[in-house]
Amino acid sequence: MMEFLDQLLSFNLDRETVFGLFQQSLVFIVGMTAILASLGVILCATPIYSALYLIGNMVCLALLFLLFNAEFLAVVQVVVYAGAVMILFLFIIALLGARKEPRDLSFQNLMGLGFVGLLFCELLLTMAVGETQPVQGQATPEVVQQVGSAKAIGIELFSNHIIPFELASLLLLVAAVGIISLAKFTYKPLRKRTRT
Amino acid sequence: MIDDILNFLDPYWWLIIGVVKAVIIAVGLLSTVPLLVWLERRLMGRFQVRLGPNRVGPLGLGQAIADAVKLLFKENIVQSSADKFLFYLAPAIVVFTAIVAFSAIPFGEPFEVGGQSIGLWGANLNIGLLFIFAISSMGIYGIVIAGFSSNNKYSLMGGLRSSAQMISYELTLGLAALCVVIMSGSLNLYEIVKSQSELPYAIPLFPAFVLFFIAGVAETNRAPFDLPEAEQELVAGFFTEYSGMKFAMFFMGEYVNMITMSALITVLFLGGWNSYIGLDIPILVFAFKVFLLLCVFIWLRSTFPRIRYDRLMTFGWKFLLPLSLVVMLFYSAVKVYSITA
Repeated sequence: MMEFLDQLLSFNLDRETVFGLFQQSLVFIVGMTAILASLGVILCATPIYSALYLIGNMVCLALLFLLFNAEFLAVVQVVVYAGAVMILFLFIIALLGARKEPRDLSFQNLMGLGFVGLLFCELLLTMAVGETQPVQGQATPEVVQQVGSAKAIGIELFSNHIIPFELASLLLLVAAVGIISLAKFTYKPLRKRTRT
Repeated sequence: MIDDILNFLDPYWWLIIGVVKAVIIAVGLLSTVPLLVWLERRLMGRFQVRLGPNRVGPLGLGQAIADAVKLLFKENIVQSSADKFLFYLAPAIVVFTAIVAFSAIPFGEPFEVGGQSIGLWGANLNIGLLFIFAISSMGIYGIVIAGFSSNNKYSLMGGLRSSAQMISYELTLGLAALCVVIMSGSLNLYEIVKSQSELPYAIPLFPAFVLFFIAGVAETNRAPFDLPEAEQELVAGFFTEYSGMKFAMFFMGEYVNMITMSALITVLFLGGWNSYIGLDIPILVFAFKVFLLLCVFIWLRSTFPRIRYDRLMTFGWKFLLPLSLVVMLFYSAVKVYSITA
């Protein structure tokens, strides 16, 4: 251990290189974990493990946001997706009693595999597009440093993107009303079911 | 050799300080838990007109050590039909999230040591309040996974109950905390304490304080909201199948959550380390406020019977949530008025 450290120090690496490398490898490791977790979601036979892998994936994404200094986004990612949405998924899976699905290669499965392969091929096509232009917003790193990421997102959301924001909230409201009307009010069947 | 490493790390001294702080917080919290258990048993004894544990050591203080040793040496039973991996994962999640959530809580002004100012907090985050909510919402997974992996109907019921309860009361908790955020204009817990240097928010924001406290008790799964464990109907709920140290870890998680919730209420509503009567020992003031709140938690447990499950849900969704929305709207109106006027 000591020899290793001696060797490391004798290389005369300057700090910035070491810590930069450390940061980059951290991003790489977290990204790889996210990919592995998302593979786990689709490859797991038990639904409960799939859900847990999805949670892991979301936490990894939050960590990536954190590594790029977007603290607010990271925390919102955890609160909304990992904290609220996934707990409902787990709730339903636990309630219905998830069973291991048998694996058999039927015609439908082959169709599904073919479709997934097609999607992957389309994904590969994007390599031909080349580098994309990053979206230029008003919140430069200096502004974010000054007012904090929560405030910067708030200002951006309520000035430039107010209409999409309100429309999205309207859409959610419609969905909520629809679900309540579907779940709460039962409609009388046209013809009364008779017992035979 | 050591000097070389220290020289190398010199601009990154905060890394070393961070590690030291993390160790202090984790060890401190975990060693407070046995004391808190002792306090609860003693106080419960007094509330029920009996003595409580008083045989081991002075005032029964040795009971804490005896309990810890007993739990460490108990047999560790894993039933054969349990999902082994998840069964072991669940208590770890509970303890981990409980300790991490506490790390964002500030309990004093920063002080200077050798030219470096060291803050009395694990991490002073710009979004400290949201961070605590995020981590504590991850803590539910420990309980749900425990309930699911035990392969036991009572445990499953406990896990399901806890997830429904936590989601319901988290909304009220968040909305009540939002009142404080609106008034102080910051999500940073240190700034929030700073803005209370003259008056704790418990006085101007009294309705929000009450709502936050009720939702906080529900979030920590304490009586009268201890539906997930409910000894009488669910035989201890989600940890029915756990024994030995893993059982103790659920215990630790619950008590650490209790401390975190008390500390959060102190920071948000009781003015943190501001004493208001001229007593200038920040940490003692903070600890005293937390201690008082912990006693209230225990007092509640020995006073109220457990409420029925449907009433819990009705109370959460049809009473607390609309009320907290109204309170939040009222305080945002006050804030807008005070800015424009």
